[in-house]
Amino acid sequence: MTQELIAPPDAGIEEIERACAGLAGVDPRRLPAEREAAIAQAAALVAAEPAYSMVAARLLARQVAEEVGEGGFAASVEAAHAEGLINEDMARFVAAHARELDALVDHGADDRFTYFGLRTVYDRYLLRHPRSRQVLERPQYFFLRVACGLAESVAEAAELYGLMSSLSYLPSSPTLFNSGAARPQLSSCFLLDSPRDELEAIYERYGQVARLSKYAGGIGISWSRVRSRGSLIRGTNGHSNGIVPWLRTLDASVAAVNQGGRRQGAACVYLETWHADIEEFLELRDNTGEDARRTHNLSLANWVPDEFMRRVEADADWSLFDPKDVPELVDLWGEEFDAAYRAAEAAGKAAHSLPARRLYGRMMRTLAETGNGWMTFKDAANRTCNQTAEPGNVVHLSNLCTEILQVTDDDQTAVCNLGSINLAAHTGPEGMDWARLRATVRTAVRFLDRTIDRGFYPTPEAAAANTAWRPVGLGVMGLADVLFRLRLPFDSPQALELSTRIAEEIALTAYGTSADLAREHGPHPAYQRTRAARGVLHLDHWPDARPHHPGEWTQVRRKVAETGLRNSLLIAIAPTATIASIAGCYECVEPQVSNLFKRETLSGEFLQLNSYLVADLKTRGLWTPQIRDAIKRADGSVQDIAEIPEDLRALYRTAWELPQKALIDLAAARTPYIDQSQSLNLFMAAPTIGKLSSMYAYAWRSGLKTTYYLRSRPATRIAQTTLTQAVTPEAASEAVMCSLENPEICEACQ
Amino acid sequence: MLLDPGMNLTLRPMRYPAFYDRYRAAIRNTWTVEEVDLHSDLADLARLTPAELHLVNRLVAFFATGDTIVANNLVLNLYKHLNAPEARLYLSRQVFEEAVHVQFYLTLLDTYLPDHTERAKAFAAVDNIPAIRDKAEFCFRWIDSLGDLDELRTRHDRRAFLLNLICFAACIEGLFFYGAFAYVYWLRSRGLLNGLASGTNWVFRDESMHMEFAFSVVDTVRAEEPDLFDDALTGQVTRMMEEAVAAELAFARDLCGDGLPGLSAEDMRAYLEYVADQRLARLDMPARYGTANPLAFMELQDVQELSNFFERRVSAYQIGVEGTVTLDETF
Repeated sequence: MTQELIAPPDAGIEEIERACAGLAGVDPRRLPAEREAAIAQAAALVAAEPAYSMVAARLLARQVAEEVGEGGFAASVEAAHAEGLINEDMARFVAAHARELDALVDHGADDRFTYFGLRTVYDRYLLRHPRSRQVLERPQYFFLRVACGLAESVAEAAELYGLMSSLSYLPSSPTLFNSGAARPQLSSCFLLDSPRDELEAIYERYGQVARLSKYAGGIGISWSRVRSRGSLIRGTNGHSNGIVPWLRTLDASVAAVNQGGRRQGAACVYLETWHADIEEFLELRDNTGEDARRTHNLSLANWVPDEFMRRVEADADWSLFDPKDVPELVDLWGEEFDAAYRAAEAAGKAAHSLPARRLYGRMMRTLAETGNGWMTFKDAANRTCNQTAEPGNVVHLSNLCTEILQVTDDDQTAVCNLGSINLAAHTGPEGMDWARLRATVRTAVRFLDRTIDRGFYPTPEAAAANTAWRPVGLGVMGLADVLFRLRLPFDSPQALELSTRIAEEIALTAYGTSADLAREHGPHPAYQRTRAARGVLHLDHWPDARPHHPGEWTQVRRKVAETGLRNSLLIAIAPTATIASIAGCYECVEPQVSNLFKRETLSGEFLQLNSYLVADLKTRGLWTPQIRDAIKRADGSVQDIAEIPEDLRALYRTAWELPQKALIDLAAARTPYIDQSQSLNLFMAAPTIGKLSSMYAYAWRSGLKTTYYLRSRPATRIAQTTLTQAVTPEAASEAVMCSLENPEICEACQ
Repeated sequence: MLLDPGMNLTLRPMRYPAFYDRYRAAIRNTWTVEEVDLHSDLADLARLTPAELHLVNRLVAFFATGDTIVANNLVLNLYKHLNAPEARLYLSRQVFEEAVHVQFYLTLLDTYLPDHTERAKAFAAVDNIPAIRDKAEFCFRWIDSLGDLDELRTRHDRRAFLLNLICFAACIEGLFFYGAFAYVYWLRSRGLLNGLASGTNWVFRDESMHMEFAFSVVDTVRAEEPDLFDDALTGQVTRMMEEAVAAELAFARDLCGDGLPGLSAEDMRAYLEYVADQRLARLDMPARYGTANPLAFMELQDVQELSNFFERRVSAYQIGVEGTVTLDETF
């Protein structure tokens, strides 16, 4: 990077605009028409000075303001309403309180955005005129519109708007897209049970998936009930081709439904490990082989019973079945499943059997080669779920991001409304601001609960399940920011303690708030069917857990016994890919993937530089062009840069450089406080079957309910274009040697 | 020695294990055209200005024939003369990758240009569009420069071979293609043609490796026969680079016309000169231009990607993972 800084990033905005525009070869008198070039110039400087991200954001905020024009919030809602973009209730509410609502708007809050964050808001979230495509709202109007779409009074709107404009809490993308809109589909994810093993049921499911996809929801769907290849079809005396052709149709259907151009449709298929088509299922995402047996758009997940993992440990055989022969297995878990499975084996019903480790190895290969085939654990999911107190209520799958666990059946499509707290916004130099965190949780739970009533449900099955169980998923983002600020390496005992405490505080407060809501509105209709109604809270499944606030838990337990809960489930840690970008923090509970990387999104490419690292390097006089280039050459790693002191290198390890055991331990320690689950990505630069099989067996033994992607790295990389020093052949061959020939001894990847 | 005439068949002991490693690394990066979703680009195409559309059409026309030319040289010249089976393994793999690129650009062309006469015109560009024809002629001239050579017997033969190898690595894959990639990334920096860009990411990764392989062959030959490398060779390579830059710059002038937002033919000139200097530096030859990179968006291409999986398919997975199930490894 040879770009010179053009103006100090804290200079006045006019000066920066002039400087940026001058650099772009633009006549400064023609501002602001040429602002776009100035924004691009400022964005390009981020690599040298992260503060330019804020500069670019401020320039963009000006552009947006000009595009929207004069008039306040209420006027912007009115304009959007005139175009049919806003629902009647919302329009009435805003018109009735126009002056008070206009007074809430704080455009100064725009200064909190990073460039990438504001760009994302501008390109994807702000309401646009249906024909001119000009934006109709400024960023703060957008937040207030979302708040008003969920509020019953101006005070409520102010409360939620305050959390959002300070980037302390953000609802999930569907809520941000659609709150207050004509069709307010506010839910992030939908989970559908497997279609019954009948043609009509399968086609009915495609229709449901399409209707749910249309409104920006991610789909999880099980396919475990559908008969396997070679199974007899009585009606025609033919043989079934198994599940693959059906999933091909699903694949095409999902790809066809583009979510209003804002996201591609997305679905994940779950299959139980005993299904006789499991091996073909694991090949669905391979990029070689017969394309007629591939599904390039579907994500894949394994719904793994404990019995399978036990047989892997014992190196025993594993039997595969045609669901037509053992229809009961899908609806059983725990000891009942184990008994039924063994009885089916003893009765000779198996289609065939193979060594459990061979199948497990095949699952690991799929993870390494495609990142797909997520390992999710059926028994842990059911054992600890608040909704499974009564027989017949079974969790059959997780969702597109493996953080939702709810019961499903033919009449119930599970739904989840999500939102995430930005932990970075609740951290001071000394540590977490616990009181503020709790206050945020209280507000967040109230509004998540509200989304259940305000939401539009694309299918009756979704409406039925959501109104009966009223589940919500409160999550977090920015854990990595907290740990950087407090200077705690991800694998330190202090990080484990803090991360667990955060999870506990959130769960404790969320349960208390849900009990308060139950006092106001009554418990959710299906409350009597939950474990909570029987005096068992999620935490009780972990007798070894040592909560920080045992006394408060006793109080909450008492309160729940008295009032019940308004929500059957409260906590789920979603990946927060897009909303963390808006909030300018690291994603959910993940470590950073690199100190320097680019994001590729539908909005273009954006350089992301770890600003904590840069600040530390500046303090120590080490933020030089040489070190900058060295970080870039090392793909965002600081481990081999001798000039950077040891303590910084330890703190700024990337996900590739941290022991994955630490990530699993952090996840396991917070599990008692997560009543649904968490989207836990695991990272391995050069995966081998041995390492992966050990890692996932450990995750299972640690009691994790689900895991998410396995992230690995390409075997070769591009030659860098913009570094003056050429890659030496030794360095190039070392890199290849490291990742391919000697993964065991490679220090860099451990 | 690597350039000695013959058809060596011995893999054990292996003389050039680094070539074999490159072959295996390449296999792990297998991708297929079916993984690229180009249809999302159609909406963008409808929004382009006439000047941008002109650029895209010219690019497609260049891509239509570019990789086929490279594959021809591989088969006609490089495979014949690089006398080590491990090197020929890599070249076989490279031929496959060129075939995937040809298929990718064919699919791109079929998707972008639904009209059959337009498609035929794109392929005819190599004869009809001066800026594309001149680049192709530059390539053909260097392919033909080894036309009569069946064996590299003399110093003169080997020098001729080196020039052909360097031309395809540094000037064609390393400059013509890098030029073309810059346009694609410029479009993407403005949020346009994400499908083309995601396929290009993979092509770019492959081309980087092809270039690095060729340069490591040059390094090997330099170690084995240092006397082949002298000032005269440096002079010849520098002149060849100059010609390539001139040809690519003519193409840039055709593409950019009177300038596009954030990209002008002048920017491209500076970028090409900058890239040419990089290639010379890799060959241990002095810089010819001393120009800095003006394209900030190319800066981004050097950085590891992190895709939002809702929006793009992640391209960073390996195939051919090894090992057996164990339960007690550290991770």
